[in-house]
Parts: sequence; C-alpha cells; structure tokens
Amino acid sequence: MSGGGSVAGESAARRASEGRIGWLFDPKLVSVALASVAVVVAGGLVQVSFGAYSMTVGEAWRAVLDPAVLLDPRWLLNFVVGEGLMRSITGFQGELPELAHGTLIVWNIRLPRVFVAAIVGMNLGISGAIFQAVTRNELASPFILGVSSGAGLMILLTLVVFGGLSAFLPLIAALGGAVAFLVVYAIAWKNGTSPVRLVLAGVIVGTVFNSLQTGLFFFANDIGVVQSAIQWTTGSLTGTDWEQVRMALPWTVAAVALSLAGSRQLNLLLLGEQTAKSLGMSIERVRFALSGVAVLAAAASIAVAGIVSFVGLIVPHMVRNLVGSDYKRVIVGCLFVGPALMVAADVGARLGMGVITGADSQIPVGIVTGLIGGPYFLYLMRRQQNMGEL
Amino acid sequence: MATEHVDTTRTDATDGPDGSNGADAPGAGTPGESAETDASDLDGEDLVLGYPNAPEPVIDGESIAAEPGAVTALVGPNGSGKSTLLKGLATQLAPDDGSVLVDGRDVHAMDTKALARKLGLLSQESTSPDSITVEDLVYHGRYPHRGFFERTTDEDARAVEEAIELAGCGHLREREVGSLSGGQKQLAWIAMVLAQDTDVLLLDEPTTFLDLHHQMEVMEIIETLRSESDVTVVVVLHDIEQAARLADRMVALKDGEIRARGAPEEIVTEELLADVFRVDADVAQTENGPRVTPIRARHEGAE
Repeated sequence: MSGGGSVAGESAARRASEGRIGWLFDPKLVSVALASVAVVVAGGLVQVSFGAYSMTVGEAWRAVLDPAVLLDPRWLLNFVVGEGLMRSITGFQGELPELAHGTLIVWNIRLPRVFVAAIVGMNLGISGAIFQAVTRNELASPFILGVSSGAGLMILLTLVVFGGLSAFLPLIAALGGAVAFLVVYAIAWKNGTSPVRLVLAGVIVGTVFNSLQTGLFFFANDIGVVQSAIQWTTGSLTGTDWEQVRMALPWTVAAVALSLAGSRQLNLLLLGEQTAKSLGMSIERVRFALSGVAVLAAAASIAVAGIVSFVGLIVPHMVRNLVGSDYKRVIVGCLFVGPALMVAADVGARLGMGVITGADSQIPVGIVTGLIGGPYFLYLMRRQQNMGEL
Repeated sequence: MATEHVDTTRTDATDGPDGSNGADAPGAGTPGESAETDASDLDGEDLVLGYPNAPEPVIDGESIAAEPGAVTALVGPNGSGKSTLLKGLATQLAPDDGSVLVDGRDVHAMDTKALARKLGLLSQESTSPDSITVEDLVYHGRYPHRGFFERTTDEDARAVEEAIELAGCGHLREREVGSLSGGQKQLAWIAMVLAQDTDVLLLDEPTTFLDLHHQMEVMEIIETLRSESDVTVVVVLHDIEQAARLADRMVALKDGEIRARGAPEEIVTEELLADVFRVDADVAQTENGPRVTPIRARHEGAE
C-alpha cells in the first residue's frame, strides 16, 4: 500500500512521456503492423511475378525497384496523379522516357492492382471497426446500415436499365450506398435513435433493396451484363488500374484521418450510451458523424472494387483480438491488417483458378474473402464464449 | 470552480475510517456547513417524468432540492420512482414538464460538455469492453474537460490520480476491467465519475449487488465526499439503514410521490416504514444512526 503513491507518479509520468504518438509503439501493435506489411509485400511480389507474362521473383523485384521509375518523379506522378496533372505540375511536355518491358507490365498492370487491394482493405477495415463501435455489435460490418444493398441496387439499375450511364458506375454505386444509409437513418430516427433501431432499419432497407436487385437480374438480356453485375456485387479487382488508385486515394486519406480523430469518441461509445451521455457527449451528432465517416470509407471501396464482403467484418475482429479494444490501436491495426487480408485474398482470386484447374480465369475477390471469412468466424465462435455484444 | 475540492484526497482513502476522519475532524460533524458558498445547488422543479411507451408518467409533478455540499439520499420501495427521479435530475430522461436547475441554470439549455463538468452520474449498470484497463477507464472521466483534439494535460493526470486514490483502486490500476469482481468494477466506475470532477454527483444504487466489504468501501467514499468536499451528492439507496447513516437529508418516495423529506431521524420512523415500505419494524436510535429491525410485511388488508 505504501508504494501506491510512487506507482501513481510513475504511471502519470509514463502517460506524459508517451505523448501524442507514444501509444503507437505498443509491442503488440508494432508486431501486427510488421506481420501485415510482410504479408502485403509477399502477396504483392506473387502478384507482380505471376500471370500471362511470367517473371522470376528476382526479375519482379528488379521491375518494382526499377530506378527508371522510382527515381523519376515524372513517372511516379504520372501513375499516382495521372498524366494530365503530372504535366501541369512538372511543366514537362515531351515524351516520357521508355521503360523496360517487364517494368511496364509490373508498373502499369500488376502493381496498381496490389495498391487498390490495399486501399480497399484499409477502407473496409476502418469502416467495419467504426460500425462495430457505433452499433456496439461485434457482428456489424460496413454494410450493416444498408450501404451494400443501396449500392447493389444502383449497380443493377445502371447495368440493366440505364446502360448509357455505365461509365459513371463507380460513382453511382458509391452514391447509392450513401443514399441507402441516409434512408436507414431516417427510418430509424424518432426523437433520436439507438443501435438496435439502426440495425433493424438496416435490415428492413436491405431486404427491400436486395429483392429489387434480385428482381432486376431477370431483365438482364445477356450473360455479359449478368457477369458484370455479379462482379460488382461480389467485389472484384479484375482490371483495376492506376485510375482506381487515383479515384479512391483522396477519400481514403480523408476517411483515415477522420476515423483516427474520432477514435476517442469511439472509445467512449463503447462505454454505453448512458455513460457517454453523462460524460457530455452529444451522442446523436457523434454517432451520425462517425457513421458518415464509415460510409465514406465503404463507398470509396465500393467505387473501385464493388461490394467486397466479410473483410470489414473480420478485420476489426482480428485486430481487436490482437491489440485489445482501445480504438486508437484498433483503427491503426485495421490500416495494416485490412490490406494484408485483401492482398492475400486477391492472390487467390487472380491466380487460384489457374493453380487449381489450369484454366486462365479469375474469380471475384469477394468470393475468396467469403471463403476465408466463414471458417475464421467458425473458429472464433468455437473459441469465444460470448460473441455479439461488444 | 471545479478545482476547489481537489485537495480532498490527500488523506489515504484506502486506509478506511481513520484516514477519512483524521484530517478534517471538525468538518465531519457539520457536513456542508463549512463551505456552503462554494457548493452547487441542484433543483428539480415540478418534474413530470415518464418513459416514451408508458401512458402514465412515473413522477407526476414533484420538486426536489439537493442540499448544497451535502448528501441527499432517495429511498423508497421497488418501483417507487426513485431511479426515475435520479435519471430526470441527470438529464438521462427528458422531463415532460418542469425543469432541472444547476446553480439556477436550466440543464437542458446548457452545452452537454459544460453540463458534464458540473454534474456527474454513476448509472446502476455500466458496461465497458473487457480489455480496457482501470486507468484507461478512469481517464474517460476527463472527457468533458478535453477539447476535440486535446491530449491529456497534467490537470487530467492529477484528477485521475486523486480519483483513483479516493476510490481506493490504485492496486487495480493496470488490471483489465473484465477480470475484476463486481465490487472492484464498481470502485473503478466510481473513480471514473470522480475523475469527472463535478460539483454535483448523482449515484444510482451504488451499493446494490456488492458484498459487504465493497458496500462499506463505497459508503466510505461517499462519507469522504461529504465531510471533505463541496460536492453535492444525491444517491439512490435501497438499504434504508445505509441511507440514514450516510445522508444529511433523506427523501422517501412511494408510487412516484415524495412522501417525506428531512433529516434521517425524522424520516426513519416506524410510521414511515409502515406507510412507504409496507413493513412493520422496530426503529431504535443508536450512535451509528437509526437501527431498523423489520418484523413483518404488511399486507393490503392490514392497512
């Protein structure tokens, strides 16, 4: 007992010295991050090495680290911000220097797909983490408040009915998700709302929109449209390019920044509505704002990859099991584990069929994430006594 | 204003009775009197409180004033509306009519964070993630004192240390809340509301479901608040003897009506026990407050 005072002093001092970013150097969080980066690098190398134009891992490395790209800001800008913006930033008007064949394939086709996978994984991870705190339900996913059904319906409408608009499909899908979320919120609202009301409203809207979406399949007049619709509604990274990276990156940066800023509010939400309220949180405003951030992240991922299921559900789970329930760490963890899962799943989606059947075809990555996600949940269910309530 | 009572915890609360009596013996006899000017008022005026789906309000037009700097206990049988009244005072429940005033200001007109710096509530049931540590939980009590991007300050650290010490849970600081017993959890939650550093503290049945040891721990914390600080405490208690021992004033409720209010000796009488609690009991005055020996339950016919 007599040591109590000095322990208290130490602890306060420790907290002070940790400062604003000290908590990042939590050993568990660091190892989760390192392991995830290793998975992303390994998965990325597999992705850039194999395919119709095969290279050895050594060649792939050399292509990725080709100084002709890495040391040339014009090429880098050309990829990341697009050719037009690159020219106006650098003032460069001539032809870009030519690249080796391998480098071109890796940088133009294979690498952006890995980046898109990583971006989608991040977005779905933080979106799921936020929704799990907002609804105080471990089984919540980014799509619990109608986002996926709204996006899905708009995808089908665009492909089947308004074929002329298909160039804007990513935007329309993302907007459909956001609108569905607002509809859910409006239905759940009655002098304020609660997690249970929100989830119920999400189920209602989801049911109706999914029925409409399924009904629309009957009006699809050729198999190509149906396949394209399925690719969008199960989530696919086939054919993704730097354009997708450019489309999603700004929204991703915004969503990540906002969710990190909101992590303290998320922590407080976990203490229950009553406690949060008695500590002075304007609970409705915070809940709506945080849901908005989560929808932004989910919509960004839908715009580039369609509706990838399970990632947003499992990633926050895995992270919470590894680093604990402090949302500052959970969000940061999701930024690493999400990409790791997504990149690894995309290896299976892109190359798996080739390995199993020898056929040169790809499957939507959403199918692979579902195949990984199901068994992982079975494992969790077996191991944990009480699932559900956070 | 909120920092006025911070030096209350310099005595070691974990050491129990001698700790709480030694430092401030003269104050202990006349609680609240010494610092009436600094203590905060809490008034509920003509409150009508009910739940959205119930046709009749639970509390129908009652007024209550908590004595500044003292402990007011709400007692009554199950369903008497005492917890509802407390929730109304804590603004967890919006009144259908009437108003709640802290130092004369209507709480519903106040900014939520400003209100949370004035008025704290310990709910009956609190949930938290299992893996949060006690110290982190207590730090959440500082929420209303921090801006959106602000990090913890030295003042936060000081308030947390004092709250942990006063609640006597320093030895639990690094433990995860999920691994604690019910009583230890309650101490951690009390430390959290103490860290909130409010002028008014509302406690909803803080001793219910606790073993005797932890009941005494909680009682001692409230006694310390009473004798050594200006905090205005309103506490709902199930145990009428505990309430009499702890409170400067008692308010007895039945069927949503305030039946009696006054000093414990005036409230804890055989007539009131018969009327409000529907028990026949012997009441004996002892040096530890009134001693209630329940004899039998009164049935409807007996009235």
